[in-house]
Amino acid sequence: MSRLKSQSTALTDDPLNDICPVCKSNRYLNPTLQFLINPECYHKMCSTCVDRIFTSGPASCPVVGCGKTLRKKGFHKAFFADLKIERECDIRKRVGAVFNRREDEFESLSSWNDYLEMVEGLIFDLVEGTMKEKAKAEETLRAHRAANAKEIEDNKRAGLEAKDVELQREREEKEAVRQRRLAILREQEEDKLDVEKERREMLERLARGDGDANAITKHAQKVILKKSSARRNLAESNFADTANGSAPSNLSIRGLKKKVAPKAELAYDPFGGLDLKPARYTLQSSYENEWLDNAKNNTLHMAGGYSMNEYYSRTMFEAFSGLGIFIGDQVVEKSLPAAPATIGTVGAAEAAGGRLRQEMNTDDVF
Amino acid sequence: MKFNIGDLPVLFPYPRIYPEQYDYMCDLKKTLDAGGHCVLEMPSGTGKTVSLLSLIVAYQQYYPEHRKLIYCSRTMSEIEKALAELKALMKYRADQLGYVEEFRGMGLTSRKNLCLHPSVKREKSGAVVDARCRSLTAGFVKEKKDRGEDVNNLDLLEPHNLIPNGVWTLDGIMKYGEEHKQCPYFTSRRMMTFCNVIIYSYHYLLDPKIAERVSKELSNDCIVVFDEAHNIDNVCIESLSTDITEESLRRATRGAQNLETKISDMKDSDADKLRAEYDSLVAGLRGAQEDRDEDAFMANPALPDDLLKEAIPGNIRRAEHFVAFLKRFIEYLKTRMKVRQVISETPPSFLAHLREYTHIEKKPLRFCAERLTSLVRTLELTNIEDYQPLQEVATFATLVATYEKGFLLILEPYETETAEVPNPVLHFTCLDAAIAMKPVFDRFSTVIITSGTISPLEMYPKMLNFETVVQESYPMTLARRSFLPMIVTRGSDQVAISSGFQVRNEPSVVRNYGNLLTEFSKLTPDGMVVFFPSYLYMESIISMWQGMGILDEVWKYKLILVETPDAQETSLALETYRTACCNGRGAILLCVARGKVSEGIDFDHQYGRTVLCIGVPFQYTESRILKARLEFLRETYRIKENDFLSFDAMRHAAQCLGRVLRGKDDYGIMVLADKRFLRKRTQLPKWINEAILDAEVDLSTDMAVGTAKKFLRTMAQPFPSLDQDGVSTWRIEDLEAHKEKMENESIRQLRAEMEGIENGGGKEVVQNGNGKEEAQHMGDDAFDDAEAEAEMMKLDH
Repeated sequence: MSRLKSQSTALTDDPLNDICPVCKSNRYLNPTLQFLINPECYHKMCSTCVDRIFTSGPASCPVVGCGKTLRKKGFHKAFFADLKIERECDIRKRVGAVFNRREDEFESLSSWNDYLEMVEGLIFDLVEGTMKEKAKAEETLRAHRAANAKEIEDNKRAGLEAKDVELQREREEKEAVRQRRLAILREQEEDKLDVEKERREMLERLARGDGDANAITKHAQKVILKKSSARRNLAESNFADTANGSAPSNLSIRGLKKKVAPKAELAYDPFGGLDLKPARYTLQSSYENEWLDNAKNNTLHMAGGYSMNEYYSRTMFEAFSGLGIFIGDQVVEKSLPAAPATIGTVGAAEAAGGRLRQEMNTDDVF
Repeated sequence: MKFNIGDLPVLFPYPRIYPEQYDYMCDLKKTLDAGGHCVLEMPSGTGKTVSLLSLIVAYQQYYPEHRKLIYCSRTMSEIEKALAELKALMKYRADQLGYVEEFRGMGLTSRKNLCLHPSVKREKSGAVVDARCRSLTAGFVKEKKDRGEDVNNLDLLEPHNLIPNGVWTLDGIMKYGEEHKQCPYFTSRRMMTFCNVIIYSYHYLLDPKIAERVSKELSNDCIVVFDEAHNIDNVCIESLSTDITEESLRRATRGAQNLETKISDMKDSDADKLRAEYDSLVAGLRGAQEDRDEDAFMANPALPDDLLKEAIPGNIRRAEHFVAFLKRFIEYLKTRMKVRQVISETPPSFLAHLREYTHIEKKPLRFCAERLTSLVRTLELTNIEDYQPLQEVATFATLVATYEKGFLLILEPYETETAEVPNPVLHFTCLDAAIAMKPVFDRFSTVIITSGTISPLEMYPKMLNFETVVQESYPMTLARRSFLPMIVTRGSDQVAISSGFQVRNEPSVVRNYGNLLTEFSKLTPDGMVVFFPSYLYMESIISMWQGMGILDEVWKYKLILVETPDAQETSLALETYRTACCNGRGAILLCVARGKVSEGIDFDHQYGRTVLCIGVPFQYTESRILKARLEFLRETYRIKENDFLSFDAMRHAAQCLGRVLRGKDDYGIMVLADKRFLRKRTQLPKWINEAILDAEVDLSTDMAVGTAKKFLRTMAQPFPSLDQDGVSTWRIEDLEAHKEKMENESIRQLRAEMEGIENGGGKEVVQNGNGKEEAQHMGDDAFDDAEAEAEMMKLDH
């Protein structure tokens, strides 16, 4: 029994057997048969029928017992095979445009959940309810729209922004993947050249004939090995650095963008938390040095309010500034961004047939 | 045999021990003391399981913590073998100690293997048995029914004393269950927390759908062992991946419709129940206590750390809302399946698209599996197998909404490149093996990963993202050279042979492979196993051999049997092969390096005297899933594509080679026939690589034949097992001598360090370090320093 049933569903699922309910032409006669629907009544008909009936202006739906007035402009291809779902999604779109509150507007999770359930119930009434329920739901919808017009507008904007941010992030990730792939290709190319060069050198030395041939080949092999292992080590250490260093930073950006939680305002700090207290020396109130004595004792110097302490602190600062900073370290830290798993995943998507997908994005997905 | 490792007394159930077993135990103890993870490689057939068990049991019994052992293996037969070993060990311990220890060891396997119910146990498929068992044992059924036979007995016994102490093999527990009228499956499930040793399959720990229910109550200081773990990354990945087909979607739709009618029925008859469920969902109470019960319909497929600990979202709280939600999701998937081009996308972009068209948010999707479980329980559905596809879809939904990183959706509309009729499959594939493994490493302080072929060792920590305390590969000590690995790179006509894509179908290569096969079929006594890289290549090469008359030639010497993708055919072929090996001239089994035969089926003694590996068994690199995974590995773990591919090929090759050598009294020839093996030699396990002499690399067919003949002649000489004593097997005296020597060695080393390098002490240390290499150069049959020492000891006596 169940098999029979599955077969019958398979038959109707098969687009080859689809027949236009209006003109009864089927795919056998018209291979380019395409069905369109109008969200007014969700009766499907083929594109020829639509052209035939609605080109000259609005007309009533040709399906028996419907009789709704339709316009050609309203017709489009159905996304879902099941038109009931298509209709439900259209309704959802309509309701979603009105009830578009976000979770962070609610005080607690349970009130958010209650809200969600209320909306869901409303949609359910619109989709499957009786005439009365539908009318009531429509009424609620209208009332809500009227009452909260401004908030709806705000949330809509917020939603669009969030989408933009998401898109931006995706684009950035893709770009990062591309960059990394290029870098790796370049690296491999260099490796190859290196090995090639080494080999040529070895041949030349052999040709020149100085030294034992065995020794030369052995030496060359060793050099190549050493180089490749050194390169690997370098790459690995870089990787270790970057993996520890910047992976979390990337994550935190994503967290930030999603939820902009305003932090409690702190007192304004002009130096941005930079500690200006000297770490490598302690400033004394006076230094004994004979060529300072003159300045110390001379009233001319002190007249304008000049303080020796200022002088001391500046001199000491200049003497110690720049100590403990190694340019080498800072340069290394900048090299190669890390590859968090996100990038890996995006890259993997590209690898498994990304080209096709990009093509696809340009037009409609289906 | 009784000896001490450090302060730990170990009882070893055999009178003799292999040197590598002793080393293995020492390293194991080091790991347990340090409390970290380790990766150990020990040659196949040298008693890995028994050394593991005897050391860990000794450790358990000696130290007051009594850390529990969870031993995971791959197949049923391996689990049974381990249980038998454990039983023998415990018997030996009882004999030696003079009393029986307070000890319980148990194996766990599926309901199908452990069922006693007269009609259920006759079902063929495991899923059906599971479903029928649930329909008999689910909580609500039990409440309604009077207490019958079977499971219900369990409730009468004390929960911690369902079964007496001792080691229970699967057969043993079945028998006990039959006698006492209690279900073996539930007995072992419930007794797990009271066991000292649990032996089961990987999946019970790695697959979140099962692990959640089975392994949740295990404490954190358990010692976890993954035996035969060379494929563990694939197990991890499979446990988090799902595939969806058009057929399964169709059946899922039907399931959703059934649910809908059931809900409306219930609304008419028993609305209170639905309301009660709804109320509990509103209150955010999940049926946590019931959830963990064995009878839950399905567990959450996401890993425990990734579960959201909050109430179910409001828009799927009502049963009818949830069913509409499911229908919408299924319909969306159906529409996507209609696309006729390959799509690969990340979960976030999938979710974004989903939201745009169906207004399904991420959060309710995450709760899909949980909500479905709750609904099924409320509706008291018993014919659960009908809802299997729906469950698959819910699993998919939860996974796709939970994981952003390390996962990928790939839609393949056609089965093969050339297919005309679309058969779309939506793969949701996990790319990162570390995801499933992470909770295990996080939770348990000691995880031991071990196998016969797990080289290169550093690959596993990298891939699974963990740190090791000990990472060691052991050589095989042998009193005579009992296996002969060779790399054949050329045919007799000096043409290089390779299964590389460009040359694999060239007649000269095929003929040379054919000649190799003919020659070895002539000289091999009894059985011979041949491995090909793929079914496709095997078929093409066999048909070419047929055309060249090579098969007719081989036919004169041996029976030819072929492995096929069909399991039943293969097992028939295997049976015939074994019969042929025991009678007459033996047979040749042609099989595939990634097939069923290459893993888990042993060809010991006469069943396999030669293994011939034709070509490097690379994976099918055009597979989109593999491509994606390679890219991910490179980006995330810095493992280069080629490194991974060659590592993967070599671990399979090593598995194939390991099939023929299953013990120290066994002997066999291993031939690697491809010129590319020359470069990959270092990626073989240490014990194989060390046994390849430099003269036996880069051979041509005729040279290989000559070497093999000489080898077989030496193998034909009588070899009394006494000769092995002190060399490849140690009696207790040898062990004591070795220990003393090691102690002296370390004392000398310490002293030398103290005296400083100038006094010549440093030289001694250096010599120690090089001892291994030197010993190798001493001669053919000196394999490592242990052996050299043993020989020296003989001279002393």
